[in-house]
Amino acid sequence: MKSFLATLSPKGEEFGEPESSAGEGWRAELELGFSRARSRTILARRRHQGPLAVQRPFYPEGEVCHVYLLHPPGGVVAGDRLAIRIAAADAAEALVTTPAAGKFYRSDGRAARQSLALDIEAGAALEWLPQETILYEGARAACDTRVELAAGARFIGWEILSLGRPAAGEGFARGAVTLDWQILRNGNPLFLEKLRLDPKAHRASWGSRGHAASGTLFACPASEQSLNAVRELIGEEPARGATLIDGLLVCRALDPRADLIRRCFQRVWEAIRPEIVGRAACPPRIWAT
Amino acid sequence: MDTDLALVRLLQLVSPALPIGMYSYSQGMERAVEDGWIADEAGAGEWIGGLLDRCQARVDVPLLARLHDAWRLGDTGALEHWSRALLAYRETAELRAEDRRIGQALARLLDSLGIERAGRWIRHPSATLATGFALAAVEWDIPKERAALGYLWSWLENQVLCAVKLVPLGQAAGQRLLRDLAAGIPELLGKALALSDDEVGGSAFGLALASSRHEVQYSRLFRS
Repeated sequence: MKSFLATLSPKGEEFGEPESSAGEGWRAELELGFSRARSRTILARRRHQGPLAVQRPFYPEGEVCHVYLLHPPGGVVAGDRLAIRIAAADAAEALVTTPAAGKFYRSDGRAARQSLALDIEAGAALEWLPQETILYEGARAACDTRVELAAGARFIGWEILSLGRPAAGEGFARGAVTLDWQILRNGNPLFLEKLRLDPKAHRASWGSRGHAASGTLFACPASEQSLNAVRELIGEEPARGATLIDGLLVCRALDPRADLIRRCFQRVWEAIRPEIVGRAACPPRIWAT
Repeated sequence: MDTDLALVRLLQLVSPALPIGMYSYSQGMERAVEDGWIADEAGAGEWIGGLLDRCQARVDVPLLARLHDAWRLGDTGALEHWSRALLAYRETAELRAEDRRIGQALARLLDSLGIERAGRWIRHPSATLATGFALAAVEWDIPKERAALGYLWSWLENQVLCAVKLVPLGQAAGQRLLRDLAAGIPELLGKALALSDDEVGGSAFGLALASSRHEVQYSRLFRS
């Protein structure tokens, strides 16, 4: 009985936020604004500071603006602060992805911070589909994502995490990452979550049950039809689940490997995109490489 | 003597006999057992203890405390705000429906006991168990800390009863779990009540997944 009794006496450091201090790390900011210009969506505003950038937009499906977000250092270290703000104005349609997995390296004690703000106006559609984020053993980070949906805004987004690098035999015996998600609709909270990933949550039955990879996919506004399509797709797979809460579809997955969750979510995305965004799936070419 | 009466009222409020239907909800445990994630007494203890720490002490209790303040001050805006936030923290449709139904049932009960302020929450879409629980506590002079203690105990007792039925466990094993898990409550309560607004919030991935999967469980005894 020792194993669970230990969970009842949280140490002070486990209960609060990872300690942050004014580090010497990178401070990077990126602000993107999409808007509709006649026949297609354009990247009308682009401001960046520090090592965060985007390549020139692609138009593989005509009207929708596809953008690859780049973080040239290739990984986040202790003390780094990244802030990304993306806004989609009326009738804009944009898909943002990343060409490579994000990485949070082992920390010397200080926490890294990443904040992502997505602001979607009525009639606009934004898809936030980054590749997975690898949290190296010993990483300390606080990531928060805030999605603001106007009435009639359309959104598909996912977050796929890998704790440690299982391929390299690395687990997650040290480290702590908090992942804070807030999805608001018309200014009211639609979905709130503050997930703390630490060695205990990694192992526990109420956490990841030892799986290295976890993922959550959101889609709004979704109907029972989308929910049923997703449930059919994930079928009897043992560590997948989907629910529909007040028009927000939430699909979750655990897996030994993050790439398998990415593949699963890509299939889910292909199935629901016609209903949510009104378009057939057009996978960004970079996903195939 | 006032304090004694308040304690008696708290016992009434946390009794499994309170007719709000708590016993029909397992909060994902039924699926966690079905999928083999909980197989024995230690497994049940790990599951319930984890949720006590990661969800109850970081979401329910701090929000219950804020709702207690809001009822005491008659702050309608804060009542709406925290009730809505609490529902938004519920990870699945089933968990959200559970809290809303129990919250509305408790509002109806309190209304029938003559607590007028409960009336408008009987059909309120943001009603939660904590909303009604905090109102009863304020009306019956139960201090915030005591109310939070009772709320945690009643959650814990219900979860252990679910484990006894589902795993299944013997009655003595259930009582051992209650004794051992309850030992952590005082310390958790202190931390939970000290959280600032920014620190409030929690989640358990396994709970969210189990509850999502419970929604499609073929044969089930519980509504969540």
